Amino acid sequence: MRPRKSSAGPAGLGAVALCATAALAVAGCGSGSGSSGSSSSAAPAKLTVWRMGASTPAQVTWMNGVEAQFHKDYPAYAKTKVNVVWVPWTTATTEFTDALSSGKNAPDVTEIGNTETPTNASLGMLANISSEVNSWSGRSDLVPGMLANDTQNGNVYGVPWFGGVRGIFYRTDQFKAAGITSAPTTWAQLVSDAKTLQKKFPGTYGLGAPSDYTNAIVSFIWGAGGQVAVQKNGKWTAELNSPQSEAGIKFYADLYLTDKVSPAKYIGQTELGNPGATSGGTNEDFALGKLDMYIDGPWDEAALEQVSKKYLPDWAAFPIPSQNGPNPAPAFAGGSDLAVWSTSKYKTADWDLIKTMDSTSNATSFANLQGFFPPYTSQLTGGAYSGNQLLSGFAKAATVTQISPLNAKNWSTADNTDEIIPTMMKSIMQGANFTATVNKANTQLQNVLNTGQES
Amino acid sequence: MADTVDNRPPASGRLAGPANPGRRRLSPPAVGARPATTRDRSGHFIRRHRLGPYLLLVPSLIGIGLILLWPTVQIGILSFQNYGLGQVSGAAPTQWVGFSNFTNILTDSEFWLALRITVVFAVVVVVLTLVVGTLVGLLLHHLGRRMATFVSTAALLAWATPVVSASVVFFWLFSPDGGIVDWTLSKLPGWLGGGAHWAGFNWTTSGALPAYTVLTALVVWMSFPFIAVTVLAGLKTIPAELVDAARVDGAGPWRSFWRVTYPLMRPIFLVLLLLSIIWDFGVFTQTYFITGELGNRDEYNLSLYAYDKAFTMPPSYGLGAALALVLTIILLLITVGYVRASVRQGATS
Repeated sequence: MRPRKSSAGPAGLGAVALCATAALAVAGCGSGSGSSGSSSSAAPAKLTVWRMGASTPAQVTWMNGVEAQFHKDYPAYAKTKVNVVWVPWTTATTEFTDALSSGKNAPDVTEIGNTETPTNASLGMLANISSEVNSWSGRSDLVPGMLANDTQNGNVYGVPWFGGVRGIFYRTDQFKAAGITSAPTTWAQLVSDAKTLQKKFPGTYGLGAPSDYTNAIVSFIWGAGGQVAVQKNGKWTAELNSPQSEAGIKFYADLYLTDKVSPAKYIGQTELGNPGATSGGTNEDFALGKLDMYIDGPWDEAALEQVSKKYLPDWAAFPIPSQNGPNPAPAFAGGSDLAVWSTSKYKTADWDLIKTMDSTSNATSFANLQGFFPPYTSQLTGGAYSGNQLLSGFAKAATVTQISPLNAKNWSTADNTDEIIPTMMKSIMQGANFTATVNKANTQLQNVLNTGQES
Repeated sequence: MADTVDNRPPASGRLAGPANPGRRRLSPPAVGARPATTRDRSGHFIRRHRLGPYLLLVPSLIGIGLILLWPTVQIGILSFQNYGLGQVSGAAPTQWVGFSNFTNILTDSEFWLALRITVVFAVVVVVLTLVVGTLVGLLLHHLGRRMATFVSTAALLAWATPVVSASVVFFWLFSPDGGIVDWTLSKLPGWLGGGAHWAGFNWTTSGALPAYTVLTALVVWMSFPFIAVTVLAGLKTIPAELVDAARVDGAGPWRSFWRVTYPLMRPIFLVLLLLSIIWDFGVFTQTYFITGELGNRDEYNLSLYAYDKAFTMPPSYGLGAALALVLTIILLLITVGYVRASVRQGATS
């Protein structure tokens, strides 16, 4: 979609940034090759796994370890080669579409952004693995909401692999110099801190508010007690124009309009700059010290480091505050799933490989490599992240999450194709009538969620 | 499709012989003649019915049929279906949906916004391209040989620059993060329209007007050389005596252009005008790069709008097909204007 488009991208994890982490393309990006050869009863000669993003040496090492363990745990597959193909997030939807429509070069196992799982399952892309998952030992420890996202009409089409939430990056040295002693827990505190920082550090902006940033904007809607849309008896009702939702939308727009803690250039941009870009915008400015606070997830820390490591030791994070505190605003629960491709010839082997990749220890070590969280309750609540200055803030945010309606069947149409929330936010920031703009977006959103069409 | 191929009249009939399937074929006259070879017979048949020109057209007709007509038929079919990825994979049934794809498009306010942007942009760019191109053509006509070579080389370089490279270069020129345009404007004094507020101004994503200002500069820059060179070629055909005579009679350059040059070159200008309209109506590549891929919906022209609807996940090929038909009809109307104009011109000249 877009090539995918923008931050609103697949995993909902601005995972575009992963593409920026290494252009090494060790495993030959984009040249997928389907399973071929032997019959379905025999062990496959090769299993093709699609991974999203760009490969990094650490991830290659991790995958090699998984392959070795796979061969050891399942001697029948001792000669099965695991072929990893790296698909950039920006072209992932195109690759999925091509593989499905042509029936060629499809993977056997694929990583898939969790907001896309429901849509793609309904398009016939993913195999129904209900019985495998239900008899799997790892199932009981999975965070329940994450598994529910992969379930449609009682059938399971994927298993959660890792998750991530957005929070607000800040710099401890700046907070100290500006006399801010604790992280803000209400919107009033957030704005006043942003203004304090902006004043203390002339030439910087306090808090970046890009308009093409649905996955962060929803936190402000939820943080005021609003909902984007709710489903009742199978019918969606959009609630962007409820008083609570409007408060959240207005607060975000006012970061630019009245509080002036965010510059005009972020209008029309994602958190990574111009749509389609893999670096720039708020991400680059925060790394360069031109922006004091920056909304994103821990996975984009790698992209920050690529811009500059100058302030690396001071980077820390806190959850996006709710309107009146003290609990954080619900964060959008992004993440990736693992799924079996519907036309794969080796579904048993595929599932065995997924079990190895998604075992508690492998999923945890993998998530830690990338700044994500594993999908296992025992790991999240075990206190493993409290000692890390950056991750502790995000771990706190991960305790209050929401995904609906960002996993609705027609959400991709609403957010990727029609860009309803980004367009609304951009118009408001550019001075359009607030009520009329929100009402228009609300009507469009409700229509799309119910029918797939805006009108 | 196989039918089309199998039933075609043999393109190489004259050489290969007997397979001409024409139903009206007459038996060759054989009385008193030497036994006619198949080669003679088919050659005679072709001459008698004056089929030669048509046979020569067959290869291109087949080509056009395969790559243009057949897809058009398919687009026509798809535009009345709910065809999407689910239908490709077989996960959902293909249904006939009547005109609902068309009503969806025509009731979408974003479609009309995109149409307005497309038309206004085409008008502005076509006018600017023609004016700049003509002026440069006139300049080249009056320059000395060495200077003309220099100017035309510089202009043609712009024309020869790959579209993607040019788009990326312009994107960087107008970037809010260190682009030279913002930097220059911020250094200019206020009475020249400059000022510090230009620093960090985001041309490409903050609305249709600034974005299409950049696009206008880019597209005009890339297209005027073609106009200039064509106008120059036209100018070379105008007898120098006519221009000299006008000058002797006291006509200045302005009058001389409108009274002598323009009337003689009107056919060329008409062709250039219509070609430019067709080219500038569907600018995709530059728009895609400059406005941030598909990230700014308020900056879509019709091409981006159609691409977004058809291919962004989840793809909606039916809707895209309906849009393609609508676009085709709009461009057909322009082409009909073009053909009519050229026919009328042929009649008068």
